Amino acid sequence: MMAEGVKKMTKRYVGKNIFKVDAREKVTGNAIYTEDIYFDNMLYLKIKRATHPHAYLRRIDISKAQKLPGVVKIITAADIPKVKNFGLIIKDQPVLIGIGQKMRYMGDALAIVIAESKEAASQAIGLIEVEVEKLEAISDPLRAIEKDAPLIHQDGNILDTYYLKKGDIKKGFAQADLIVENEYRTSFLDQVPLQVEAGVGIFDQETEIIKLWVATQWLHDTQADIAQSLGLPKEKIRIIQPVIGGAFGKKEDISVHIYLALAAMETKRPVKLTYTREESMIAQSKRHPFIIRMKTGVTRKGYLTACQVEVIVDTGAYASSGPAVVHKGLYHCTGPYNVGNVKGVAHIVYTNNTYCGAMRGFGATQMAFAYESQMDIITHRLRIDPVQFRLQNAYSIGSSTPNSQILTLGVGVKETIKLAADIAGWKE
Amino acid sequence: MKHKIRFTINGEVKEIEVQPNKTLLKMLREDLDLIGVKEGCGAGECGACTVLVNNKPVNSCLMLAVEVDGKEILTIEGLSDGINLDPLQESFLKHNAIQCGYCTPGMVMSAKALLNRNSHPKEEDVKEALAGNLCRCTGYKRIVDAVLDAVKKGGGK
Ligand code: FES
Ligand code: FES
Repeated sequence: MMAEGVKKMTKRYVGKNIFKVDAREKVTGNAIYTEDIYFDNMLYLKIKRATHPHAYLRRIDISKAQKLPGVVKIITAADIPKVKNFGLIIKDQPVLIGIGQKMRYMGDALAIVIAESKEAASQAIGLIEVEVEKLEAISDPLRAIEKDAPLIHQDGNILDTYYLKKGDIKKGFAQADLIVENEYRTSFLDQVPLQVEAGVGIFDQETEIIKLWVATQWLHDTQADIAQSLGLPKEKIRIIQPVIGGAFGKKEDISVHIYLALAAMETKRPVKLTYTREESMIAQSKRHPFIIRMKTGVTRKGYLTACQVEVIVDTGAYASSGPAVVHKGLYHCTGPYNVGNVKGVAHIVYTNNTYCGAMRGFGATQMAFAYESQMDIITHRLRIDPVQFRLQNAYSIGSSTPNSQILTLGVGVKETIKLAADIAGWKE
Repeated sequence: MKHKIRFTINGEVKEIEVQPNKTLLKMLREDLDLIGVKEGCGAGECGACTVLVNNKPVNSCLMLAVEVDGKEILTIEGLSDGINLDPLQESFLKHNAIQCGYCTPGMVMSAKALLNRNSHPKEEDVKEALAGNLCRCTGYKRIVDAVLDAVKKGGGK
């Protein structure tokens, strides 16, 4: 039965040149992306952001901004006492920072300006006066875990610690003829989808449904998160995803959504918010930088015996998908290579940097930099062929990963290595 | 104070009043509803906003609207009538040179400018002409293939 189905599908699609359904609209400039949506009577939003990466908000004065012609309303935390924090895994991110509360990175929002034009909204942002009490801004996760570092969140700067154990690490290193130990660091990376964060919102007074057209990735999770933050049933939030101009993980987090919902409910008019590229860089997620201390044991004949890893990950000011990213990174600490004895620990740490979230590879890419560097250093020290060395250690069907998952299907790493070596002309 | 300007856009003569600080990109998108012109950075870095002014490619986010007074502008919307596509557009479709599509209008317009000045460009010429257009979905190979194929089919004329 199943084979039949597969065969049918093969004939229809596999090996054929299939046109993308929306390619024609895209190539003629007719595809409608979020920022292409206009409504009559539409208002424009702009967000007043933190003035310091780690500080208490002591005073916010919107009186001058409010008097500017074209400004319709400015929402601050005082207007929304019931609105709750949001976040993909942990609800640790506030919608607006209130008096006496702390801003934790430069992207934290202090006020939502609603105006008749983008220009008026932008000008009003500059007229909002803010007084803060500055705290030490922590940009290094190694500083964040020191005993005397100020706490970014109440429960401490280490958000969580994960462990990994397989086999007997001591035995593994005892079997090794060579042990290589190094520290690797990866950097922040912005996903830079060509389209920035953008959204349009409407509040339907009859049904009391908030309709949001947003450049966004996880519609159902986001709908649930907005609903819990605003204290509304999920059915009252409708998210529509127009054609999207790339995301690569950056649009998994909430960006413009809640600001639009609040402004639409407040004004009962269509509202629009498009970030600038600079704002997108400051306010939305990044790829997590990892500090990886890796110790690898190998026999003289080039067989891996042990891998011990300690990872410190900067998740920035908020958790976002950090816990899942770090788990995945840890599980990939040996790469696609068989290692019988593994021990790992990973700390995910808050700092005052822009928060980190999802980006293509989701933690696996950072780890690859460490283990592949280790592989090269080992082959250099043992004077063995790096391709042969990788092939003799590579996963095959039946291999077990560092978290003891047995691979039963689709293990293509050996073919991939062979093909890559061929194409690169390795033998020559 | 607004300025009155007159120009040809996609073959049609238009006269409008614009603020002196309005960019060409804003005028095209907001006053003329030509939403195929995209903004990726607003700072001359990405090429998503590329249009042709007097047959030359420009970043419309870096040009003031008043500067097009008396000039001729071509945007992606004017490249075809929507039914009969330009050979470049056909070629982009055929080669699947489109993923999210956000860079596509700018890419096509930069390629069009190249074919206007050089009907038989080499691969290197194509790469140079598209050097100011970023594609973050990373389809450069297919995009270059698409342009070269359009040249082969006589797209350059
Ligand atoms: S928007 Fe003009 S170059 Fe990026
Ligand atoms: S297709 Fe997405 S940026 Fe080029």
